[in-house]
Amino acid sequence: MSLVRLSGEFPDAALLESGPMNSPVARFFRRLLPLLLLFTAAVQAQESVRIGVLAWQGLEEAEVHWSSLAGQLEKRLPGKRVELIHTDLAGMAAALRARELDFVMTNPGHYVMLEAETGISRIATQVGSGFADPAHVVGSAVVVRRERSDIASLEDLRGKRLAAVSPDAFGGYQVIWAELRRAGLDPERGQVALQFTDFPMARVIDAVRKGEADAGVLRACLLEHLEREGVLPPGELQVVAVRSTSSPCRVSSPLYPGWAFAAAAGTPPALARDVLLALLSLAPDATGSSWSVPADYHAVYALFRELQIGPYAVLRETAWSSLARRYWPWLAGLLCLLLAGGAYTLHVEHLVQRRTRELSRALDERHRLEATLQAGQQQMEHLSRLSILGELAGTLAHELNQPLAAIGNYARSLLRRQQRDQLSASALQQAAEEIAGESERAAGILAGIRAFARKRARVREVCDMTELVREAAGLMRGMTAGGPKIELVDTLPEQQRHVCVDPLQIQQVLLNLFKNAWDAQQGVHVEAPIEVTLQVVDTTCRIAVRDHGVGLAPEVDAHLFEAFFTTKPEGLGLGLSICKTIVEAHAGEMGGQPAVPGPGTVFWFSLPLLATSGAVSGEEK
Amino acid sequence: MTGNEVPVIHVVDDEAPFRRSLLFLLESMGWTAVGHESAEAFLLAAPSFPAGGGCLVLDIRMPRISGLELQRRLQAGGSPFPIIFMTGHGDVELAVQAMKAGAIDFLQKPFKDQLFLDTVERAVHISCERYLETCRHQEAQQVLERLSVREREVARLLAQGLANKEVARLLRISDNTVHVHRQHVMEKTGTGSAAELARLILRADPGGLD
Repeated sequence: MSLVRLSGEFPDAALLESGPMNSPVARFFRRLLPLLLLFTAAVQAQESVRIGVLAWQGLEEAEVHWSSLAGQLEKRLPGKRVELIHTDLAGMAAALRARELDFVMTNPGHYVMLEAETGISRIATQVGSGFADPAHVVGSAVVVRRERSDIASLEDLRGKRLAAVSPDAFGGYQVIWAELRRAGLDPERGQVALQFTDFPMARVIDAVRKGEADAGVLRACLLEHLEREGVLPPGELQVVAVRSTSSPCRVSSPLYPGWAFAAAAGTPPALARDVLLALLSLAPDATGSSWSVPADYHAVYALFRELQIGPYAVLRETAWSSLARRYWPWLAGLLCLLLAGGAYTLHVEHLVQRRTRELSRALDERHRLEATLQAGQQQMEHLSRLSILGELAGTLAHELNQPLAAIGNYARSLLRRQQRDQLSASALQQAAEEIAGESERAAGILAGIRAFARKRARVREVCDMTELVREAAGLMRGMTAGGPKIELVDTLPEQQRHVCVDPLQIQQVLLNLFKNAWDAQQGVHVEAPIEVTLQVVDTTCRIAVRDHGVGLAPEVDAHLFEAFFTTKPEGLGLGLSICKTIVEAHAGEMGGQPAVPGPGTVFWFSLPLLATSGAVSGEEK
Repeated sequence: MTGNEVPVIHVVDDEAPFRRSLLFLLESMGWTAVGHESAEAFLLAAPSFPAGGGCLVLDIRMPRISGLELQRRLQAGGSPFPIIFMTGHGDVELAVQAMKAGAIDFLQKPFKDQLFLDTVERAVHISCERYLETCRHQEAQQVLERLSVREREVARLLAQGLANKEVARLLRISDNTVHVHRQHVMEKTGTGSAAELARLILRADPGGLD
């Protein structure tokens, strides 16, 4: 507004300047013009300083009370027009939010609330006459009629009617509210019956005097003021629970900081400084009040926190609904997060369970497969034993026939001798011994075959390797009439010939190798013995079987240990592959290569040696 | 069979218990039975042919020298022992070979004791006949060897049924000389007629009159 007015002056100035330039008058005006302009601008720009004042005793009282202050401030603020705007509690907050006020004057409680709500900051605190400390100015007095001797302390107010101006009044109610709570009485729980008379505070006095209330809450010093003014006969009302404080008046409460003079958030600092300087230079007003440096309002904050009002009103909103209303976006967000977290957890749990199920299923499957595999392997070993038996069946039958035929011969011979009366005792004994021996031999062969052919679970026994080879060679000789000689070259020392094996399986391997060797030699009608060598190689026992056959063709060599590979027309091709499987199941190795010097082939396998107790083997454990 | 000579049966089998059982069985018949654990052992023993006859029982499958090989060697050496082979299951081909080579018979194990004994008895009988035959042959040869070369000529012609005159003409000698030779031949051979003389010559040499 003022800018527009200022700019409105410029056409005149321009007109002046565009006049005759060389005349002395014109030069004078030209020099004078800036000053003139400034003056005009200052008059036009006379700003109003708007000060909001809490009208705690009503508008009229307020205007009377503060009018002198406005005048004094205006005197000290040149060019400023001080405008006092009287409002109630709610009106001041609204005006501040609308930026209609530059400063406010209000009670400490209200100030604290506005500070929190609108960001005002105090520049001065009012000190009443007789008060030394701006931080201890405002207090409250609970008054009763003189004859009410039953009410001597705040505790005596239990169940009594207490009059106060307004629940929002600081000195008029809130200060005493806190004291009541500290005395164990909570008006909010009905332990004291409250009556709010509204402003002005004189109504509280009226209520007490008329007996409408048992007691009333007054701002400190109001009672004394009214008594001095003659409005109230001295002594008619008396203060309950008087405390000794620095206050010149009787109070029932501690003292809190005085009224605050605060600058609005948008007030220029320079203006605030000017106003502050003006305030501090003011003489005490009619009531003896003056302005001092701003006090610490911490006590007020503490009071509000205790009562859970003002900035701390949120503390009392403990009801779920109010919490939900206030924090619903957060709650919703939290709920969403929780839900999402829950869903995620469920999902993960589900996944884990599914994976676990899958894993255990896979494990089961694997165990089943392993069992099947082992069963299959045993089946195959069994099959292989049967196939060896089958291949040997002819000679085996012959072999069994021998003892049977011998037994038959002895029996019939005895009969014949008996018939011819030629049976001598010695002949009978010889025949009987032979029969017994031969039947045992036959039973032995049968037992060997049965044990060999029977399906059986795996066993591990400590066996003497040399013994095993001897037995296998014996079995081979027993099975094949006119079979080859098996020559044993045993270089195993006494302490290093023990292995932990399934003896039948190892014999199966040995028999296989013997049979192969024999077959190889049958083809070329070689009468040389099959050479079996036992020796210690590192920590293993190596058994090599060498034949004098034609040797293996190179293309056969590669397939030696493959299942169902065979060079024999009637063979199953399982022998060597089973042998290798068996040997490897015993943590051993197996191989075959041409014999040196040839012709012929050496098949060998090695088994880990057991370190026997007598051995001084370093490998033991 | 001459006198009370007991037949001798030789058993060659590498399977000792079975071999012993056979010997026991053979002895039950009152025969003498001798066991050999291998062909080599038999060859080494080289038993002479017993007067009471005998035979050889051979296992066809034996290590080193097989039954067939032993048969071949014995025949090459003119052994008079008749041979019976014992074969296992599936050795029929070998058995046929053995029969062709002159074996008396073959027995497939396991065999009945009666069949075995019958076969052995038959072989012993054959051996005795052969032995007798051999004896007569040798006897005739020995008789004929007592004649001079001219006497042997005269005897052969007389055995062919020629008269003295025909012999004299063929040999370009006198009738009287032929007569003297004839008397010497008859005396030396102990024969009384041309027919007897012919029988003697044939016994010594089945182709002696051709």
